[in-house]
Amino acid sequence: MDVQRYISSGIIENHVTGLLSEVESREVLSTMQQYPEVKAAADALQVDMERYIQLWATKPPAGIKRQIMERLHKTEADEPVVAESETPAETNEDTFSENTGLNISQLQIWQYSAAAAIVLLLGSIVMNVVSYSNSGSYQQQISSLQTEQSSLMAEKEALKEQLEFAHKEMGVMKDPSFKWTRMPGVGKHTGVVATVCWNPQSKETFILAQALPEPPVDKQYQLWAIVNGKPIDAGVFELGNKAHSVQKVKPVENAQVFAVTLEKKGGNPSPTLDQMFVAGKVAG
Amino acid sequence: MESAFTYTESELVQGLKAKDQKVFGYLYDRYSPALYGVALKVLNDESNANDVLQEVFLKIWRNIDRYDESKGRLFTWMLNITRNSAIDTLRSKAHKMDQKIQDIGDDVHLYTGNLTVHPSVDHLGLSKVLEKLTKEQRIIIDLAYYKGCTQEEISKVLEIPLGTVKTRMRNAIIQLRNLLKLV
Repeated sequence: MDVQRYISSGIIENHVTGLLSEVESREVLSTMQQYPEVKAAADALQVDMERYIQLWATKPPAGIKRQIMERLHKTEADEPVVAESETPAETNEDTFSENTGLNISQLQIWQYSAAAAIVLLLGSIVMNVVSYSNSGSYQQQISSLQTEQSSLMAEKEALKEQLEFAHKEMGVMKDPSFKWTRMPGVGKHTGVVATVCWNPQSKETFILAQALPEPPVDKQYQLWAIVNGKPIDAGVFELGNKAHSVQKVKPVENAQVFAVTLEKKGGNPSPTLDQMFVAGKVAG
Repeated sequence: MESAFTYTESELVQGLKAKDQKVFGYLYDRYSPALYGVALKVLNDESNANDVLQEVFLKIWRNIDRYDESKGRLFTWMLNITRNSAIDTLRSKAHKMDQKIQDIGDDVHLYTGNLTVHPSVDHLGLSKVLEKLTKEQRIIIDLAYYKGCTQEEISKVLEIPLGTVKTRMRNAIIQLRNLLKLV
């Protein structure tokens, strides 16, 4: 054993000041018996401590000695408090005395070990339960995150579609070869208006239903291109949430007048003329 | 130190084990100031320290058979009884467990207080010793000697590494040893 290292480890100081457990104290004592240097170090520490403590010596009040001497002969039963406190709760008071009954302390060690083992077991069970329930909540979190992600993806797709459409719409408005035909209300439908946007070269046709009344559920508006008094079907279109965006309809070969009638859902091969809402002449 | 040493330590122990009241009276006269000083320093309260001192000497009287000379000095044994009794009292007085290590700053003030109040102390010698110890060294010594702190606990309380505690404590004790030679 490295004696110097042992001496400088601080264990002797703890031993001298009575701070070691019984087991540790016994070890130090047996080391002291084996190594004179350790014994010398412990003795020197005790003397130092004694002298330091003596520096703080304070004369106690005069009456105390008499009180103590009077109490010396009372039986311990008369002094239950003192008798009880002879074994203090945590610190090892009798640093240098034999310890009471090895069997008892061994039994206590077993009791403490058993108690500790039970505590550890309970702790482990609790940890298992906790981590199991945690894993459940992680799975929940994952699935809710997945749901959230797919809804975000759908939203992203929808936005992309809208953006593409907005681009197209903007392209239509910018392209100079498109002809814009404003169709005001016809007959009793004053104040109603829609606009057709037609490209005579590419034949592409769009309609913007700015102010058409919402059709009944079983009906739809239909656009007609009229050439020399003859109406040609240009397709049906929606209202509702598409009312204020440009909607593509069928390509139109030629048109002098555009008109919109209210027809049954899906459209009719020829217009119902008394259901004409708007009409407008193509310029030029 | 005091002049007449009429008993050697082993004579004292033998007398105590024989329940000799005269020896016990001598023991009280010889050691009660030191042990009372310990109780005072731990409890910082004279009335509690009086109670603890009585309790300690009754324990010494009753438990002297448990003392084993081969294991250490009588004073060290009595000192540990005193400190532990005082700390137990602190705890039972509903002081918190960590009260024993609280207010190190207050302890520093206690030094000057004790210097003026208690005439049994060699003033010049004491102040000479204390001046030569750094504040850290004094705190560590007091935590170990009076407050019953292990070096591990001191390390936690002062928030310094255990190795530093060990070094400082050893240096403090070595310095203390040298200083005490001069007193």
